Amino acid sequence: MFEKVLIANRGEIALRVARACRELGIKCVAVYSTADAESAVVRFADESVQIGPPAVGRSYLHIPSLIGAALKTGADAIHPGYGFLSEDPYFAEICTDEGITFIGPRPDVMEKVGDKATARELMQKAGLPLLPGTVEPVNTVDEAHDIAGEIGYPVIIKAVAGGGGRGMSVVTQEEDLARLYQTTRATAQAVFKDSAVYIERYLETSRHTEIQLVCDAHGSGVYFGERDCSVQRRHQKLIEEAPSIHLNEETRREVGEAAVRGALSVGYTGAGTMEFLLDLDGNLFFMEMNARIQVEHPVSELVTSTDLIQEQIRVAAGEKLSVTQDDVLPLHGHAIECRINAEDPDKDFAPAAGRLDTYVPPGGPWTRVDSHCYPGWMISPFYDSLIAKLIVWAPNRDAAIDRMIRALGEFEISGRGVKTTIPFHLRILDHPQFRSGDVTTDFVEHFMSEEAAAAAAAS
Amino acid sequence: MPEPPPKRKPPTNQELIRAVWEEARDLVKRLEGSTVQRFSVEAGDTKIEIERRAGVVVAEAGGGGGGGTMAEERKDGDSAALDAGHPIKAPLVGTFYRSSQPGAPPFVNEGDTVDAGQTVGIVEAMKLMNQVQADQAGKVSKILAEDGDWVEFEQTLMLLEPAG
Repeated sequence: MFEKVLIANRGEIALRVARACRELGIKCVAVYSTADAESAVVRFADESVQIGPPAVGRSYLHIPSLIGAALKTGADAIHPGYGFLSEDPYFAEICTDEGITFIGPRPDVMEKVGDKATARELMQKAGLPLLPGTVEPVNTVDEAHDIAGEIGYPVIIKAVAGGGGRGMSVVTQEEDLARLYQTTRATAQAVFKDSAVYIERYLETSRHTEIQLVCDAHGSGVYFGERDCSVQRRHQKLIEEAPSIHLNEETRREVGEAAVRGALSVGYTGAGTMEFLLDLDGNLFFMEMNARIQVEHPVSELVTSTDLIQEQIRVAAGEKLSVTQDDVLPLHGHAIECRINAEDPDKDFAPAAGRLDTYVPPGGPWTRVDSHCYPGWMISPFYDSLIAKLIVWAPNRDAAIDRMIRALGEFEISGRGVKTTIPFHLRILDHPQFRSGDVTTDFVEHFMSEEAAAAAAAS
Repeated sequence: MPEPPPKRKPPTNQELIRAVWEEARDLVKRLEGSTVQRFSVEAGDTKIEIERRAGVVVAEAGGGGGGGTMAEERKDGDSAALDAGHPIKAPLVGTFYRSSQPGAPPFVNEGDTVDAGQTVGIVEAMKLMNQVQADQAGKVSKILAEDGDWVEFEQTLMLLEPAG
């Protein structure tokens, strides 16, 4: 096992990783920018190093400073958290060159799964279902016409290098294809420096379903069930839950096994997530793989009684997974996570950062708060607006919703200029459609126009 | 990349300053809410004087012909006045070198006069040499980091007595 792990991240995830290290008996090193000098992880960690100014390019993304800090403190591994350098094969490679273990997949594997076209091809070979469409990039307009005709409209043209909802166009009729094909390629070239695009069937309504897995270096992999993350706004997840009430046990095992098979077939090690779209008929289609731990991992932890970060560290150290597939299935109960952001839901989720005068997290049974905040902490405009992840568990989904509403009601956060997404979460949880579980990725959009219409009618 | 020189004796002055500063900082915390306005902590030839005014802590350090700031004291913007001179800080995390290569004379020595923009040291990070430049003219009153020391971002490397 590692002696000392450097955490190349900030905020709640840095603290989450530090806590896992402490429980495993590993010393941890926090790195921080000048804006984060008073952060919770700096207080918690065994050692800390100031690596740069607030701007991420010179601190949390500045590889020489991170490596320098690791070498100086004698850390034998680096945990990248999520975001920042967590999916940068170049960073992983430099760590390896310097004799530091990068807690994540090997750089070449990360590169393969990070390329959408390659990932789709590999996963198709492993038996994961894909949406009808191309695996190879589409290189001419004629080719695009042939493929779209074969798949049937509507289709979606996606940049191979795209992500975060950018570089994609939906084509509903043939007349628009040539134009949208050209513009998507041009956008992809401009934004991602790679004009390659592929085409697939467009699902107008679907649920975002993802499978969590961890693979060790001994050829074993375990899937930790799925998460439903359909409550999202402009591709930003707001509420996640596990399990999905739309998957039966048979499908869960079938897709889970295929996901693990696919991951192992490319030599994947560490924690990863396979993202799928689930259509209204219950068919799953593989979208992409994320080669990191994700923000919403706690819901999977609660329904599988597993500390995923500890497993991630364990397998990076060359140890075997401490759990087997039989240990984690069937999934136990239901867990929900709400992301509490410093944003104003009434002003189109504009950032509403500031210093927290009051910060009183909820408590009570099966209520978990992953957060780096405390009274007096400054939610910095330099970084993302996440204040806390509130996660609850209950024996069933209804009870979990009730518990979440109770816990959100207890959460006290205030400060000058600070607004949070708590009121928005409460309204969503209270909505009959959310309660019924019939939520698709366009739910938030509909919900917001419904609210706007009601407000207009009332005035 | 220059080979780091053999370790010299530990920078006792810096350790002393650190110890004194920590003591002073604890005192400031314990005095919160009290009416004490001024006090000093002394050890050897290092002395820190603290003056408190309407919730603002103004600190001054002196002794041994200079004073020092510790890397972590940048956390407190109000204590910037701790310096007994104008601080020249590390531009990034890395290894500090006082000369261009082993055996070469140092860029500057204590007592030297420097111009604004003059190179006073190097911070090496992953084989990249980053020059440390004086951001104003003055006399080098105190060099706080040793050749080969590993330094954090914005750690004070030396102090400058501004010209004029």
